[in-house]
Amino acid sequence: MAELVSELRTQIERLLADQSIDVFIAFKKADSPLRPQPAFFRSGDALTDLEYNSLCQNNLGNYLTRYPNETRIGMVVRGCESRTVNALLVEKQHIRENLTLIGVPCHGIVDIKKIIEHYGEEITGYSENQTDITIILQGKEHTLPREELLHDSCLRCLHPNPVNADILIGDPLPEGDPSLVRKKVDSFEALSRDDRYNWFKQEAERCIRCYACREACPMCYCTECFVDFNQPRWTESSISPAGTHAWHIIRAFHQAGRCTSCGACERACPVDIKMTYLTDKLNEDILEIYNFETGMNDETQPPFAAFNMDDKKRFVA
Amino acid sequence: MMYLLEKKKINTELSAWAKDYEVITPQKVENYTQFLPFDESSTLELTNPHNTRYPPKALFFPQTETMLTYNSRLGRFEETQVRDEPRIIFGIRPCDASAFALMDTVFLSEDYTDPYWKTKRESAIVVGLGCNNPPQTCFCTTVGGGPFNHEGLDALLTDHGEFFFVQVLTEKGRALFEDLPLASEEQVNEIKKIQKKASDKMAPAFETKGLKQKLDIIFESSYWEKIAESCLGCGICTFLCPTCFCFDIVDEVQRKKRIRNWDTCMFRIYSQEASGHNPRPSNRERTRQRLMHKYSYWLDQIGEIGCTGCGRCVRYCPVGLDIRAMLRIASQQESEVIHA
Repeated sequence: MAELVSELRTQIERLLADQSIDVFIAFKKADSPLRPQPAFFRSGDALTDLEYNSLCQNNLGNYLTRYPNETRIGMVVRGCESRTVNALLVEKQHIRENLTLIGVPCHGIVDIKKIIEHYGEEITGYSENQTDITIILQGKEHTLPREELLHDSCLRCLHPNPVNADILIGDPLPEGDPSLVRKKVDSFEALSRDDRYNWFKQEAERCIRCYACREACPMCYCTECFVDFNQPRWTESSISPAGTHAWHIIRAFHQAGRCTSCGACERACPVDIKMTYLTDKLNEDILEIYNFETGMNDETQPPFAAFNMDDKKRFVA
Repeated sequence: MMYLLEKKKINTELSAWAKDYEVITPQKVENYTQFLPFDESSTLELTNPHNTRYPPKALFFPQTETMLTYNSRLGRFEETQVRDEPRIIFGIRPCDASAFALMDTVFLSEDYTDPYWKTKRESAIVVGLGCNNPPQTCFCTTVGGGPFNHEGLDALLTDHGEFFFVQVLTEKGRALFEDLPLASEEQVNEIKKIQKKASDKMAPAFETKGLKQKLDIIFESSYWEKIAESCLGCGICTFLCPTCFCFDIVDEVQRKKRIRNWDTCMFRIYSQEASGHNPRPSNRERTRQRLMHKYSYWLDQIGEIGCTGCGRCVRYCPVGLDIRAMLRIASQQESEVIHA
């Protein structure tokens, strides 16, 4: 992993030095080894703080929409992030020519909630390799298999390799197993209608309306979200069932054909609400009905954004 | 004077109280903890090294609270009956209890008394649980508190061996524990040592002296842009904060209710004006507001820092922003930046 960081640093240094980018978005070290932060590098000097490991929880594609099209952005992208960038390009949120993407095949994001669940918070050191995670707790090393600590979305990741990298660091990994996603969707669908509804209720009604899921999601970039409208109001802003149900259902529906299954929403949630069971189902449907997967290229419109006179259903004309 | 509460008898004790009070304790929900009403089926969570993830301010200031109901048959508004049944809040950490005291200055001020807060607050007995091993994310001692602070509490427990050692701090607290056996002098000394050790373990996280003046000076600094750059603008830090008290009043017309909901300065719509103008248009201004409120404006208003060092905003920020680091960097800003 140290090699990877050092190669990444060299590449970013070069991009900044030859002024082919204005800003490079990656991660940096923070006070706690568990919490690397998104970072914005504008000069080579700051790169001593550069960090890249499986604790980098955020989807950096999120920051793309904060810049005007003219800003030349460099970014480190994993599989899901690269597809996020494509999805945003399809939606005209930036210009491909003004992006330089350094791709890293991804072994999955380690869920810090799982680490804390196992070991508590007093962790003073962290290291990893492709199969294991090692943490230092009260001076002692503890090693766990990576699989046990991976975020749930990453356990069923389909495309760990960046699809649009200008520079690729590391060897491509085998693609994921679609049956893992299907298994999860199927097990939810196998429940009775009441059980599905109760599951949904139980998850949604814990919501505290902090909108961390929305803010952590790169595809939620509306200047004004439907929940923030007050003329007219679309939904209650309280934590009543009416308000929380509406938020979670509509948030998920707005992701149909747009979600890249990065899991950033669940990782951000302060009350551990599961959300990807909804978006995974939508992704499955979109694939089955429209043969479309989000972000595999930067041209194809998602089915619900596309207009086509040959549309099978004649509801348009 | 210190009483001995045997750990294995804790459920019996709580059940006995539950006959006369609603007893609220920290309990596990999914992978986090929250204060919830206790009954025989409850799983107590008193071994967590820190406070509950969901803040206990919600007990007196629920996230969603009905203020008025419209009675369409009689064509009039009806006040909500605020709950005033006696409650025991058991196992709250000193940071959260001292936050109640800070919130009192807002909701029980001379100019304005909030009946919703007041009624619930006054009918509660607050029993604290000190922190033997404060984690790295906590910084109560930096902001004038401590892992065994008494502020806002009626009694304070210290965890040691088979017992919770109970210090009663008010008459309300005494009434709960006075039938228990007394600790020996030797035991009392031992408890004092535990308390001191915990407090000594906590190194200052940043310098508070002169911090307010520094923040006031760097109000226009580009520093705020830098620290807000990675901020997502979600409401986690403020909603989980035990001292954030902002709320938004809405009329749920279909349900004929006037409701107040927690609100947060981290949201764009918080400061959005009807004209379309927003005086805090970006994360820069909003992050600045959050820090300035706690570390400058509270000082202007009541002479105290509006943060109890509970560590929630540090632990649960989805991008790992740490208020302690932000304040440290703020106090290091050079004057050249200030005038830039």
